[in-house]
Amino acid sequence: MIKVTGLKKNYGKVEALKSISFEVGRGSVFGFIGRNGAGKTTTMNILTGLMRFDKGKIFIMGRDFKQYKNELIKKIGYLPETPTFYDYMNAYEYLGFIGRITGFGQRGTKKRTDELLKMVGLDRKGKRKIGGYSRGMKQRLALAIAIFKKPEVLFLDEPSSALDPEGRLEMLNLIENLKDNKITIFLSTHILNDAERVCDTICIIDEGEMILTEKLSRLYEKYIQPVFDIEFEKVPEAEVSLLKKISWVEDIVENGKKISLQVKDIKHAKKEILLELSKLDMNIVSYRIRKRNLEDIFIGMVSKRENI
Amino acid sequence: MKTFSAYLKKEILEAARTNKYLILFTGSVFWALIVPLSLKALPLFFKSLPIDISAVLENFNRDTAYLSFLGDFFEIGTLFFALTLMGIVSNEVYYKRLVFPYSSGADTTGMVLAKYIHYGFTFSVFILIGFLANYFYTSKLFEGGMLEIGMAIRSALLYMVYYAFLLSFLIFLSSLFRRGIIAGITVIIFGYTLSIFNQIPRIRIYLPNYLLFKAADIGNIFDSTLFPTIIIAVVLIAVFLFFSILRIKRLDIA
Repeated sequence: MIKVTGLKKNYGKVEALKSISFEVGRGSVFGFIGRNGAGKTTTMNILTGLMRFDKGKIFIMGRDFKQYKNELIKKIGYLPETPTFYDYMNAYEYLGFIGRITGFGQRGTKKRTDELLKMVGLDRKGKRKIGGYSRGMKQRLALAIAIFKKPEVLFLDEPSSALDPEGRLEMLNLIENLKDNKITIFLSTHILNDAERVCDTICIIDEGEMILTEKLSRLYEKYIQPVFDIEFEKVPEAEVSLLKKISWVEDIVENGKKISLQVKDIKHAKKEILLELSKLDMNIVSYRIRKRNLEDIFIGMVSKRENI
Repeated sequence: MKTFSAYLKKEILEAARTNKYLILFTGSVFWALIVPLSLKALPLFFKSLPIDISAVLENFNRDTAYLSFLGDFFEIGTLFFALTLMGIVSNEVYYKRLVFPYSSGADTTGMVLAKYIHYGFTFSVFILIGFLANYFYTSKLFEGGMLEIGMAIRSALLYMVYYAFLLSFLIFLSSLFRRGIIAGITVIIFGYTLSIFNQIPRIRIYLPNYLLFKAADIGNIFDSTLFPTIIIAVVLIAVFLFFSILRIKRLDIA
């Protein structure tokens, strides 16, 4: 559905995208994850035709994006990270404005507007000025606008980052519904739990470079080794250094008094870890073994920029 | 055409809800009423001062009152016009308000033309109302002179062409700069300084500000010297709009 090869974008002397390439399958949810400033939004803006690029090729639905941009944009929906509207309008008026641009006609626009506002839960607040909306309400309205023209490809830039837990859950449900309707979704997020829940494929970008593109199921297979979460009574410093020296320890992620210890050989680690911990001069509050999640994989990949 | 009609409706709604109609109306029609009134009140004001201006006031008739209004309209009207509309394009780009319309398939030509036609028409209507209001008010308060309603309409038409040109220039500058205030101030300075060339007969007919000069030429407003000025104004309008569209098309919207 989307094929990108050697995409480059510079802001002056800063290389925002350093020749990235990836493919997104039809009807899939492609999770585009990375830290702030990694190049996620730049990629999104380029793929939605809102920003020019310096080098590379983009094909959407098999057609050259540069050549057929005007036609392809009609099949694309975009929810930007910080959506901006005309605040003096209400939701009905704004969707009416979008309907006129997309050529839905008066009746078609009204029908679609009613349908979408109900879907995103704004039907009762649709006549309030957008300027008075909360960030979460704006985000939901933005989703309604993004899917107004029934796009075949939908770009969602951090769709749930501004939402409260309930709103986030609703947004994820909406994305899952869209997925069921066979819409190809390109989802940029730094909330890894969200990506884990709805994405089929994960792509990690860091400092403008792609460091991983893999199906989520394959990713778990590759990084099947579990993680030991250990909580100490005090912040471990020298203890971490000692643990890092152990041959079967792959990596340690520190988070205050807690550490997540990743190992190379789980069988060996299970036998040895308690012995090694008992040698440390610090009390342990808790200890558990759990499966690796996307966050562990992401942190491991980004912090060390390891090659798989 | 879809973008044009969508933006035309949006501009009407925006101007009404953000009080732009009210501000532009005040900047044009309000002065049409206030200028003759203040001129009429001048003798009362100077009565309490130790200055004798009776010789000046003796010569005051409908023509001089009308000419005084024209000067004030240009100075104050241009301020209101430029400062109200300075963000006409830059605000759309700066606040990223074009993201949804563009990702919905909006086209730049439709957007720019809708803005131009809407505000061009609106300000033209206000100019006409202002000039007619001033004509009737001046005629009530002053006597003498050769001013006729046809003359007021003819000078209003020349002002309309001038502000249509100035609007295209403002749209162009607003597409160049991210901050509307730069476009607004540039238009004001440009408008004021270009009027200096009205003192040079050989050059003035090729500059849009000659329209203002002729609008004040009561009794001989329309003559053949206006042809080159109007042709140049129309060409400049087309050029500025064309380059505005080109500029916005090359901008990164997000």
